[in-house]
Amino acid sequence: MLERITNPEEVRTWSGAVPIEHVYTVGVAGEVFFRAIKDRGRLVACVCPDCGTDYLPPRLYCERCFAKTADYRDLEARGTVHTFTVAHFDLDGRRLATPELYAFVRINGSGGGIVHRLGEVAASDVYIGMEVEAVFLPPARRTGSILDIAYFKPVV
Amino acid sequence: MPERVAIVGVGHSDIRSITPGVSYKELMFEAATRAYEDAGVNPRRDVDSFISVSEDFWEGTSIFDEYVPDQLGGALRPVHTVTGDGIQALGCAAMLIRTGRARIVAVEGHSKHSDMRTPYHIQEFAFDPIFNRPLGAHPHYLAGLEMNRYLFETGTTREQCAMVVRKNRSCAISNPRAVYGARLSVEDVLASPPAFYPLTELDIARPADGCFVMVVAAESVAGDLAGEPVWIAGYGWCTETPSLESREWGEAVYARLAAQQAYRMAGITDPFRDLDFAEVDDSFSYKELQHLEALRVCRPGEAADMLEDGVTGPDGDFPVNVSGGSLGVGHLLEATGLHRVYEVVLQLRGQAGSSQLAGVERGLAQSWRNLPTTTGCVIILEKG
Ligand SMILES: [Zn+2]
Repeated sequence: MLERITNPEEVRTWSGAVPIEHVYTVGVAGEVFFRAIKDRGRLVACVCPDCGTDYLPPRLYCERCFAKTADYRDLEARGTVHTFTVAHFDLDGRRLATPELYAFVRINGSGGGIVHRLGEVAASDVYIGMEVEAVFLPPARRTGSILDIAYFKPVV
Repeated sequence: MPERVAIVGVGHSDIRSITPGVSYKELMFEAATRAYEDAGVNPRRDVDSFISVSEDFWEGTSIFDEYVPDQLGGALRPVHTVTGDGIQALGCAAMLIRTGRARIVAVEGHSKHSDMRTPYHIQEFAFDPIFNRPLGAHPHYLAGLEMNRYLFETGTTREQCAMVVRKNRSCAISNPRAVYGARLSVEDVLASPPAFYPLTELDIARPADGCFVMVVAAESVAGDLAGEPVWIAGYGWCTETPSLESREWGEAVYARLAAQQAYRMAGITDPFRDLDFAEVDDSFSYKELQHLEALRVCRPGEAADMLEDGVTGPDGDFPVNVSGGSLGVGHLLEATGLHRVYEVVLQLRGQAGSSQLAGVERGLAQSWRNLPTTTGCVIILEKG
């Protein structure tokens, strides 16, 4: 079997980094979704005509029966907290000075929802089932991305 | 009737929290050498096909499968890589054998986690780039979201999840492969620093480096080999959906459907009665409970009661993760499933040392490809 290094100063390493840059095409259904966010401050859902599964965000096809979806419709960016968490670490693994709240928000009148930040609420006040609504950036600052929603906040 | 298939040789490298003294290739060479020795095969002469599991981003090398053959003894031979869990590779090996394409197949999986400087960035890179990645959150927040919903739907408590940590890290003390054996109390787990509510730091399996290699053989040749065969009775895997927006948050649907496939193949109708023990994914504390329910070992919401009653403890009627699981052994990336299979093989051979369970005939190993996936695998193994 292998002989092992016993002197740590003998250990050699080589460093490398992978410079990855990419564009991600949002696609036909994504275009509809992000235009509605940017232009109207609304969310868009669609439905599968075969099995009735409701998609928000919308997509071109149903993952359950492979049929083309239909009935794209605008919805208010409101819903309920389906589940939430409090993150204490950032992406580099460093402890956050201010923990961040995230939730999966089921959008009213749809079968789907959005994973996003929660704001204007203390972690101890959040509960599953809480009613929340999206806070959008001002129209001039929107770019057609999920970050056009700043966060979801409790409905007062 | 297709030929039966057995695992006839198993081997692993040292398992450590860091392995600065050896390269990933040397880890693989070490594990392969042991597995071939156990099976009594010469890879250059006897092994017909080789399968590795790896994911390019973990390795820091694109088209990583090109870097696999030589250290396994597989140069100039059929080699392919499954970008998935080791149990998927075992299933592929069984299929290569049952189709008659190969008689002996080697399967490999490894983790060189300590070589990664930005593991959470890599994991976050697996999230949907348009809908989820812009949030820029540490990937474990997804486990926090899942756990919170699981607790809500089943009535399971954080204390009960902490008991999983206590059990598995305590079991790991008697496992020589385990990196994270410890005696912890439920209070230790609950009082450890908060990570991703409801998860504390101790609810999360920590990474380890290591490699596992297994030799799989057809029944027609298994008897001539040195290693004691353990038979593959059934396997299955399934992916639910990549979309966070349309997946189930409380239930591990992927594990339920993967188990259905494996149970059908193995003729199992009542998993609690028909199986003696299991090694299931516990990369986060709640996952062990959620997965046991998906595997239909008990009804939804009952896994925590089984744990509290000691049923899933090392002395219980249905021991779970007597090896220490990922919480106790360390999480081994794509090799995690092979590690679970390794522990089941040792138990069925009666070679599990002070962790040995009495009178076990049939066991299950289940894996999950970790965040953000909804991919799970199940394999059923049994004695001759
Ligand atoms: Zn459909």
